Amino acid sequence: MTKFSTLLLTATLGSVALTANAADPAVAAGDLAEIASLSVQAKSALTDAALAGDVDAIAEAGKRSDAVDAAMAQAQEAFLAMERAIESGEQDVADSAAEELKAALENAVDALGGVIPEEVQQAIEDWKSDRKNAGAKGRPDDPVNVYEVPWDSARMKDFYQNNFANFWESGVLPQDKETTPE
Amino acid sequence: MIKNSFIVGTAVALLCGTGVRPAEAQEVKTSSTTGIVEVSQVAITNAEAEVEKARAAIEKGKQLLTLIPEDSPLMPDVAQVIEAASENWKIAVDSLNGAKESASKISTASNASIADDYALLAKVNAGVALSGAKVVQIALTYIEAIAAEQTESLEIIRTAMQDALASCSQVQFNYERVKSLIAQKYSSK
Repeated sequence: MTKFSTLLLTATLGSVALTANAADPAVAAGDLAEIASLSVQAKSALTDAALAGDVDAIAEAGKRSDAVDAAMAQAQEAFLAMERAIESGEQDVADSAAEELKAALENAVDALGGVIPEEVQQAIEDWKSDRKNAGAKGRPDDPVNVYEVPWDSARMKDFYQNNFANFWESGVLPQDKETTPE
Repeated sequence: MIKNSFIVGTAVALLCGTGVRPAEAQEVKTSSTTGIVEVSQVAITNAEAEVEKARAAIEKGKQLLTLIPEDSPLMPDVAQVIEAASENWKIAVDSLNGAKESASKISTASNASIADDYALLAKVNAGVALSGAKVVQIALTYIEAIAAEQTESLEIIRTAMQDALASCSQVQFNYERVKSLIAQKYSSK
């Protein structure tokens, strides 16, 4: 399959998923999974560019990868907001958060295809600059990271720390159950 | 060095030993009103293609490994990356089969809501398979760079591999979350 057709399929997945019902936590979690999968695909494109040794392609792939990760962070926040709204019975807020998550998915699909708004690029650059200047590596009061990250990546550890902190704050932890709808 | 060789050998054996059946033709559903069934079929087709690419990368990787000297200072990296590739190859194969199994239940579901849930499971599990396959491809890219002595590329690929592994964990984590949420929906009825 060519890269173009892969991208087309990805875009199809994203755009069709946008039509799903609002504020359905299972669908929203599926969207989170899809955005994370787009992140993996962005990293793969980056490694292809690196292997080819094309400096311009590396820069472009890196930019797209960062933008997909930014969309992933946006989606994580929206999911948390949706969970809290559902718990507190605020359906309108939950629907709004679900729409925000769908928008994040759309942003991730666009970013992988190279469509990145200027303000997003600027925000990513600012964020990188802030983190670099502050030497930040997660908050000091973060709970213990329960995930095993086989490779030492400070950026992704920060991501996990924040992710787990969100669950910690919400008091909702995922449980592994058998799923057989019928 | 003996330990490294053992790990590499074991991981390669695992990579070679875990098979996936060749892509089978999927019956495309056309009756759904929501589109999620079609989305799940596209996701499975997409995942199948990436698993096939990963399989090809593994075949190429086996040849590339012979080009890397046993005493290479990068051998510990090679061992680690092959171990990650091996784990993710298994995940990709198992998840693809799981996605197909869920998809096969769509047509026999007793109502549209249950069919949609099976389709959602199939779609997300196909995403797990695709991500696992991509990680395998990235891992083999790293080995290719070492074998070709493209040292200037290694740092970029290494970092991308780290991040891909973390994102891949997110895909799996959210698949488990989807399963859990669907289970809760039916257990509360």
